[in-house]
Amino acid sequence: MTFTSPEVRSDGWLEAVETYIENGWTDGLPVIPPTPEAVQAMLDAAGVDGSEVLGDIPTRSLSVTAEKVAINSVMAGCLPEYAPVVIAAVRALLQPLGNAHSTTATLAGAAHAVVVNGPIRNVLGIECGQACLGPGFRANATIGRAVRLVIRNVFRTVPGVLDRASFSWPLRYSFCFGENEEHSDWTPMHVHEGYAPDDDVVTVMSVMRYLAATEFEPEAETVLATIADTARIQGLMIDSFVGDARGMMVILGPEHQRRLIDEGWTKESARQSLWERMTQPTAGKHDVKVELASPENVLICCAGGPGIAQSQLIMPHLAAPTHERILVP
Amino acid sequence: MSLITLDPTNPAPGDDAPFRMAPRPASLKGQTLGIVANGLGRSEVMFDALAEQLTKWDDLAGSVKVVKPSVAVPPWPEQWDEITSQATVAVTGFGGCGSCSTRSMRDALDLEAAGIPAVCIVHEALVPAVEALCRLLGADGYPFVVCGYPLNPTGTWDSDECAALATQVLDGVRQRLTA
Repeated sequence: MTFTSPEVRSDGWLEAVETYIENGWTDGLPVIPPTPEAVQAMLDAAGVDGSEVLGDIPTRSLSVTAEKVAINSVMAGCLPEYAPVVIAAVRALLQPLGNAHSTTATLAGAAHAVVVNGPIRNVLGIECGQACLGPGFRANATIGRAVRLVIRNVFRTVPGVLDRASFSWPLRYSFCFGENEEHSDWTPMHVHEGYAPDDDVVTVMSVMRYLAATEFEPEAETVLATIADTARIQGLMIDSFVGDARGMMVILGPEHQRRLIDEGWTKESARQSLWERMTQPTAGKHDVKVELASPENVLICCAGGPGIAQSQLIMPHLAAPTHERILVP
Repeated sequence: MSLITLDPTNPAPGDDAPFRMAPRPASLKGQTLGIVANGLGRSEVMFDALAEQLTKWDDLAGSVKVVKPSVAVPPWPEQWDEITSQATVAVTGFGGCGSCSTRSMRDALDLEAAGIPAVCIVHEALVPAVEALCRLLGADGYPFVVCGYPLNPTGTWDSDECAALATQVLDGVRQRLTA
C-alpha cells in the first residue's frame, strides 16, 4: 500500500474532519477522513492502480490519477463498490468533448449530471424513480459528491479562484441518478449510444440550465410541444468546438412517458418529434432555436416517480454528453 | 489517538521547465501582431481596433488573427500554426469570463514558450482567476493588461466602447510586448 499523496496527521477522527474543512478540501460539509486503508479498498474495488492516469486538463497542465479520485471518493462517503462508477464518471468528464476546463471554471457555474445505465444501478441501489434527483439515496448522493470533490480538489476548481461561478448552485453539491430502464420496454439511453443492454455505462452531462417542463394535458403531442417550448425559452447556440456532438437531455417523467406510450410513441419517435420542434427557426427573444445536429442529440432518460406531469430538461454548457463504460473487476 | 489520512489535492505541475518570457523587441515597428481571439461578445471588434491603432502609431508590419472554435479552448492546430508561423508578437483574450480568461492566459503562456512575446487582456473581474492559473503553471507575476468597469466583463459592448477600450489598453499592450 504505497501512495504518492502526502500524509495528514490528526489527533483523531474529529480533528481530521475539521482539518479537511479548514484546509478548504471539502464542499463545506464534513467528510469521511481518507485513511490509506479506505483509499486502498476503493482502488481495489475499482481494480485500478493508484498511479493510473484517468485523464488530463491541458489548460491547467493537470493529470488526474486514480489515487486522487479514490481519496475524494472516500471523503464523499462512497462505499468501495461505488468506485468503478466514480472512476468511469471522471474518465467521461475528462474526455476532450467534456471540455472540463470550460465547464468547471465558467461564470455560468455549470454543474455536471452523472447518469447511470445498466444492471449496476440495481446492484448499488442507484435511485431512478421517486425523488431520484434529490437527497436520501447514498449511492446517488455520494457518487455525485465524489465527482464534485474531484473537481474541487484535483481539478483545483476552488470557488472565487479558478471557479468563477457568479452564483454557483445547489446542483453542484451532488447530481447523480439512474435511468429507470425497468419502467417500460423503451430503449435505454446507453443502448442508443452503441452499448449493449447489459453494459454498465455512465453518461456525464454539463448542466448550464435546468428547466422543468410541466404539462398536465393528456395528449402526447401537447406534452412534446411543451417540452420543446421549454427548451426554446433560451435555446442553444452553435459552438464550433463541440460541433455536431452537442446534446441536451430530457429527463422524461413517468406521467409524461405514460401519455406517450398510451399513444404508441417510442423513445425514437419522441426524440425525432422533439428535435423537429426544437430546431425550428428562432421566432423571438424567448422562442430560440435549439441548435442540435440530429434527433440523436436529444437524449431521453426516463426517470422520476409518479404524480406530477413533469419532465426536467438539462441544457448543456460548452460540452458534449460523454459516455464511459463502468468496469467492475 | 493519531490518525493518518491522505491529502486529496493535486500537486502543482512540476517545475522541470521553469517559465521564461520570450525576448522582447525594442519597439513594435516592423513586427507582425498575432491576435488569438476567443470570440467573447464583441471583443473581436476591439482587437481589430487595437491592431489598427498599433499599425497607425507603432508602424506594425501587419497582423494575423484567429478566432478560436470556442471561448475556453486552445486554437485548432492549424490556427496555432498560422499564428506561430507569422506573428512576431501577440495579444490574447478577451479575458472576460471564467473559463475563457484563464484559457486566454494559457494561450499567452504557450506563445511565450514558443518564443513569441505575448500579452493577455483581462477584465478586472477575472484577475484572481488568471493570477491563480499563472501560479499553477509556475508563471507567478507574469504581466497582463487589465481593463475594467464601467465596461462589462462579457464583451457585450457597442462599437464606441470597443474603440474606446482599444485606446485604453494601447499603452499597456505596447509596454508588455517591448523591452
